[in-house]
Amino acid sequence: MGFFDTLARWLGMKKKEVNVICVGLDNSGKTTIINQLKPQNAQQSDIVPTIGFTVEKFASASLSFTVFDMSGQGRYRNLWEHYYKDAQAIIFVIDSSDKLRMVVAKDELEQLLNNQDILSKRIPILFYANKMDMKESLSAVKVSQMMGLETIKDKPWHICASNAITGEGLPEGVEWVTDQIRSMKK
Amino acid sequence: MLGLRRDKKDEEDGFSLNPFNNLEKTSVLQEARTFNETPINPRKCCHILTKVLYLINQGEHIATTEATETFFAMTKLFQSQDVTLRRMVYLTIKEMADIAEDVIIVTSSLTKDMTGKEDMYRAAAIRALCRITDSTMLQSIERYMKQAIVDRNPSVSSAALTSSLHLMRSSGDVVKRWVNEATEAASSDNIMVQYHAVGVLYHIKKTDRLGVSKLVSKFTKQSLRSPYAYCLLIRIATKLLEEESEGRDSPLFDFIETCLRHKSELVIYEAAHAIVNMPNTSARELAPAISVLQLFCSSPKPTLRFAAVRTLNKVAMKHPAAVAACNLDLENLITDVNRSIATLAITTLLKTGSESSVDRLMKQISTFMSEISDEFKIVVVQAIRSLCLKFPRKHGVLMSFLASMLRDENSSNSSQGGFDYKRAIVDSLIGIIEENPEAKEAGLAHLCEFIEDCEHTVLATRILHLLGREGPRTPSPSKYIRFIYNRVILENAAVRAAAVSALAKFGAHCEELMPSVVVLLSRSLLDTDDEVRDRATFYLNVLKQSNKALNSAYILNGLNVSVVGLERALHSYTQEPSETQFDMKSVPLATQPLAEQKAGARIFGAEGLHGAEVTPAAKAPDKVAATRQDIYAEQLAAIPEFQGLGPLFKSSAAVQLTESETEYVVRCIKHTFTNHIVFQFDCTNTLNDQILENVTVQMEPTEGFEVLSYVPAASLPYGQPGITYTCVTLPEDDPTSVIGTFSNTLKFLVKDCDPNTGEPDEEGYEDEYVLEDVEVTIADHIQKVLKPNFAASWDEVGEDYQMEDTYALSTVKTLEDAVKNIVDHMGMQPCERSDKVPADKSAHTLFLAGVYRGGHDVLVRARLAVDDGVTMQITVRSTDETAAEVISASVG
Repeated sequence: MGFFDTLARWLGMKKKEVNVICVGLDNSGKTTIINQLKPQNAQQSDIVPTIGFTVEKFASASLSFTVFDMSGQGRYRNLWEHYYKDAQAIIFVIDSSDKLRMVVAKDELEQLLNNQDILSKRIPILFYANKMDMKESLSAVKVSQMMGLETIKDKPWHICASNAITGEGLPEGVEWVTDQIRSMKK
Repeated sequence: MLGLRRDKKDEEDGFSLNPFNNLEKTSVLQEARTFNETPINPRKCCHILTKVLYLINQGEHIATTEATETFFAMTKLFQSQDVTLRRMVYLTIKEMADIAEDVIIVTSSLTKDMTGKEDMYRAAAIRALCRITDSTMLQSIERYMKQAIVDRNPSVSSAALTSSLHLMRSSGDVVKRWVNEATEAASSDNIMVQYHAVGVLYHIKKTDRLGVSKLVSKFTKQSLRSPYAYCLLIRIATKLLEEESEGRDSPLFDFIETCLRHKSELVIYEAAHAIVNMPNTSARELAPAISVLQLFCSSPKPTLRFAAVRTLNKVAMKHPAAVAACNLDLENLITDVNRSIATLAITTLLKTGSESSVDRLMKQISTFMSEISDEFKIVVVQAIRSLCLKFPRKHGVLMSFLASMLRDENSSNSSQGGFDYKRAIVDSLIGIIEENPEAKEAGLAHLCEFIEDCEHTVLATRILHLLGREGPRTPSPSKYIRFIYNRVILENAAVRAAAVSALAKFGAHCEELMPSVVVLLSRSLLDTDDEVRDRATFYLNVLKQSNKALNSAYILNGLNVSVVGLERALHSYTQEPSETQFDMKSVPLATQPLAEQKAGARIFGAEGLHGAEVTPAAKAPDKVAATRQDIYAEQLAAIPEFQGLGPLFKSSAAVQLTESETEYVVRCIKHTFTNHIVFQFDCTNTLNDQILENVTVQMEPTEGFEVLSYVPAASLPYGQPGITYTCVTLPEDDPTSVIGTFSNTLKFLVKDCDPNTGEPDEEGYEDEYVLEDVEVTIADHIQKVLKPNFAASWDEVGEDYQMEDTYALSTVKTLEDAVKNIVDHMGMQPCERSDKVPADKSAHTLFLAGVYRGGHDVLVRARLAVDDGVTMQITVRSTDETAAEVISASVG
């Protein structure tokens, strides 16, 4: 990191970069959320199931995010852990209309939290209770109860309901993550 | 200063030349953890990836866990937008695709790159993606592949097409669905895309012959832009022509011919090459192709000249007349600055040229002989040899050229190198001597000169053996004695032994030289080497008997048994000593004639007693031939029914008793013993829903023969060959009736079975299958034996049992045919190269030698004269009356 980079950041010309990992069950809307967060001209029109992962970039007011958008399909979930190490924040997407698989999501979350690379770190976790527009969808509170989020004591976490297709609720989450990371730096 | 000096030293040792020398695998993999750092340093990461690639390509083994760890670390480099780094990542993905696990993790990242806006990424991403994709994953990227194939960017389209070709191997079914996209790509404007598309289309339809021919006819009509695609089409068309064996009027051939007028040289050459290499082309079809190649010969581009002259050189073997038209252009190429072109041009000319141009060409070659490599020199030598066979009258010039080549080589280069080259020359000289009696004396003189200064023992012994065989029969044999005796004084033991043998042959053959040879041989009695001393003593004692029969049997003609067989027989004799004497006749005979066909000129020297003179080249085929019969002998000896039959005398070649596509395929091998014949039937069951059991071949013999026993094959499952034997006694009361026809029936018990599991039913039923007849001919009773000195053997056998008769062979018209028929019928070995009939002669004498069943020598002399039909006077001599009778009776 050269002197000019530091200077540029100090002057607010260049934003600080953060690595974020985005996980969740398959068909929960991870890629759609990330796609929505990207600038208008970089968005894709059709979203297909991710195989493996993709790297995406977007920016908030003060930070530049590099997101590892992981595949949620069962056979690839064990590959998430390869990317925990250098993540500075985790976005966990939950399909709030899928009550049946909520337990599976809970199970995956527990595994994530017990991972060596996560366990020791005070890393902010943002939950999106996605698909809030669906008729049978649960509220954010209900989801946090079912996921047992209140048991997470050693890490800051936040849950917000979202609709990835319209983008509703997304900025709120990003703002929270930005605040958390900035406060952590201080 | 110190540092500087060390650097310099390193440089001299060549250490610092390669920065990647002495890379440690563990330290490189350790460095690879840098990939996990943020932000990414592209320059550094590129360097590390290069190291990883270097290690993999050096064959360093990287364990799966290590590789996977490195691979996942590398996947984080997808964050970086650095173009160079990304392309290095693609390369590494391809290299690690097989050694790391879960490589499909990068699938989406690569899919994103291949559909993205950055053209630099797209083609490379496709290649990497197809490398990591297996058939199950292919479904998910199929849509992108289809799009990429028809992409407007040629590099993307080409990458997708070539990757499809690779995918074809693992998941052909999926790729087959891309036929529409490939067809669209085939009409692309880009020459490479078109070429690759045609390739993919061909591979999709490869198994469907109709599809391929439709494809070809479609593209031959619409004209392609790409010369590469044209070349590919020409190859496909050639293959189709070959498979269909269609006539030359087929549209495919017309297409290839029109390609001769294409504007691209590439296509023209490909078409000419295809036409020239087709089997059975007529001169008229060849002419346009040859004339194109002729044009290329005067092209300013060396590659074209080389391609043309190389192709012409090959064609010259098959169609010398057609190539002769290019002689003028080829002559210009003799002086080409490129030596490879010049050499090929000259050797082509030698094959096609006329007799009158030989002298000039030889002079031309000698000017640059010293400048070309040994490999090309051998090409020249071989060309000279074939030339000698073509123009026997030119042997003087050619042989003196070969001799001077030998001499130059000797004087300029005395090191070990050049052995192959010298051997090629010596082979050629010997070949010429064998083929052309007129060249014999000059050739022997050249060889004599060569062995005066020859450091290769193998060559010297071969030449000495040749001298011993051919020398005594020349008009003045005495002049060779000096050369041979020089070897006894000067050379190593192996050469001395060979020289002693050669001397003895002179003594045995030429009576006037006998006293001198005896004197010379007696000098070797005190040689330091055992072998030389033994040979000298042996020959000396035989010569002193002055007995023609002895001379012939022990000096001139040697033993005819197989060396392997003799060794085995002697070994078993010493293991179980008995009162009876060792019987030479129990040893199987050497089956030389098999080797002779292949090794032609090398056959001499393969006789048993002179084993020391056998060249490695001659020994190899001889051994193989000997072991074929040995294998049969061993197999038969293991069967209790055949214990009492005595030694195996001869095994015939296999005869097919069925068509090759029938339900059961049977072939028969006849094994002749002293008083029996064992028929070996190799049966194969080609029905996968049947198992045959208790398989025998029922034989209905001609009168006099008696079936002694059957050895059934217990079970014959699908596709596994089984063997059944039938043993027949030869007629005892009439020893002269040895020929007969046997009608055969295959008898067996059929059990139906499940084709998949091979489980047979409990119940079976008897069935039979009629086979073709087997004939026992006179050839089955005679083993071929080569008598190097036929006249001596003729005298040795004597007139005691001589039969003489005259026949008119009305069916054959020429001497060649007559000789061939007689040799085939008798199954005996032609001696003194009497099977080659000199051209334009009206009379010929054929000498045949063999051993009749039971170990009796048989010699046949057939005098043939041609007038209207062929008249034959045949004289049979044998050491056994029956044998003589049988053979002379068989002729009628």
